[in-house]
Amino acid sequence: MPQISTNEFKPGVKLEIDGQPFLVVINEFVKPGKGQAFNRVKLKNLLSGRVIERTFKSGDKAEVADVVEADMRLLYTEADAAIFMDDATFEQISIPHESMGDNWQWLKEDTVYSVLIYKGRPVTIEPPTFMELFITETDPGVRGDTASGRVLKPALLETGAKVQVPIFVDQGEKIKVDTRSGEYVSRVSG
Amino acid sequence: MSLASQDSLSKKIPHLKERSHMLMKARSFFYERGLYEVDTPLLSYAASQDEHIDLINVSGGRYLVSSPEYAMKRLLAHGSGDIFQLSHVFREGEVGFKHQPEFTMAEWYRLNFTFEEMIEETLNFIRLFVGEIPSVNMSYRTLFQKFINLDPFYAEPSHLGLYLKREKIDFPPSIESDKDALLNLILALAIEPKLPSEELFVVTHYPGAQAALAKKIPDPPFEVAERFEVYYRGFELANGYHELLDPKEQRIRCEESNALRLKLGKDPLPLDERFLEALEKGLPECSGVAVGFDRLMMLRLQKNRIDEVIPISYAEGV
Repeated sequence: MPQISTNEFKPGVKLEIDGQPFLVVINEFVKPGKGQAFNRVKLKNLLSGRVIERTFKSGDKAEVADVVEADMRLLYTEADAAIFMDDATFEQISIPHESMGDNWQWLKEDTVYSVLIYKGRPVTIEPPTFMELFITETDPGVRGDTASGRVLKPALLETGAKVQVPIFVDQGEKIKVDTRSGEYVSRVSG
Repeated sequence: MSLASQDSLSKKIPHLKERSHMLMKARSFFYERGLYEVDTPLLSYAASQDEHIDLINVSGGRYLVSSPEYAMKRLLAHGSGDIFQLSHVFREGEVGFKHQPEFTMAEWYRLNFTFEEMIEETLNFIRLFVGEIPSVNMSYRTLFQKFINLDPFYAEPSHLGLYLKREKIDFPPSIESDKDALLNLILALAIEPKLPSEELFVVTHYPGAQAALAKKIPDPPFEVAERFEVYYRGFELANGYHELLDPKEQRIRCEESNALRLKLGKDPLPLDERFLEALEKGLPECSGVAVGFDRLMMLRLQKNRIDEVIPISYAEGV
């Protein structure tokens, strides 16, 4: 893949660093006094989801990561893999559970995900930012965390994600949740 | 250009009116003190020598100037007296929240001003924009000792690297043994955020290796530069010198700078022989300073992005 210079590290660009694919989140130019200029770059590891900060000398180069994204529909999950299909070509692919990390908890059949293909190999997915999911398990009327002023209790969603929901929400109800933070957004009526 | 970025122009018309007002106030500040305005060329065959400032080349071996300093010093050596300039300057690749490849600089020179007098006048200029803020002076060495408990003059590059690692500040392996780059990174990322936010903070007496165009004075067993910088609320606002007069020393510094450029894999820059000749003729005893005008406007208008205080920014399609 081509090499690009620090001034091309725009948010959204994907870079190959230490043999892993990263997404540029923020790139801040730092030039102290009369000295060497640097770029402080916040990078999100596309495999682990972890965010790191890297300092580059301005003008230094990094390789563009061999990453493509494709929208694919989840057909079904097996014990150790999830099977997706491209709606246009009907091509099917399989992503192992272990390479998907925490994103596994957002897998719901018949939902379209952005599949990340790194060096020709599908490695993980990006779930939709907001998902509407049923609560499969939560205790009725458990008194939760009142210290912060919010009354929350743990709940298990149909995809396996564990989230905190307000105390008035019951098992069997559908809620809207932010998959980036796992935070409860609202109840979904109907 | 997208329509969104065009919309950003109409939003900043009020800021531009205030900018115009402050350009006028800045000029009045200088005229009241007996300086007069010069407008030296922006396009030049000669280039300011700085290993860390990259120039924008244009056809025919010319450059857009990164600073009017050499041209102004030529005038000083030929009897100009106290002069100022409000000028656009150009630096390749500098784009960020506080950086633009083309920005506005206020630069002025004062004959027979001591280092301390130059600092005082610079602070008063800055106060035009930010109000009557008190100031505090601290030497570069004391700054490091006080804020991070390291003596920058004795610390080895390995100590500085260890400090950065301990603070979880990543740095490129290529600067591992580059003491000045490590010191600069520590100053920008570890010390600057800790500076008091309600004072104009003046850092003085930089290490000899970071003298640029400043006179050096002994601080046994070292030499320090009569160079100062002013920081305020995370902004680096001014860089000033008690000016180096010695033409031989100046030539050596230019050559050293070019040698460093080569080491960094950059093209060396042509020496400005007319500037050096002017020093031979004799630059009068003086102090000078450069202040970032756009950053002062950011502070005045409480904006986080330089794009918001200049008419049309790099991102808006110059």
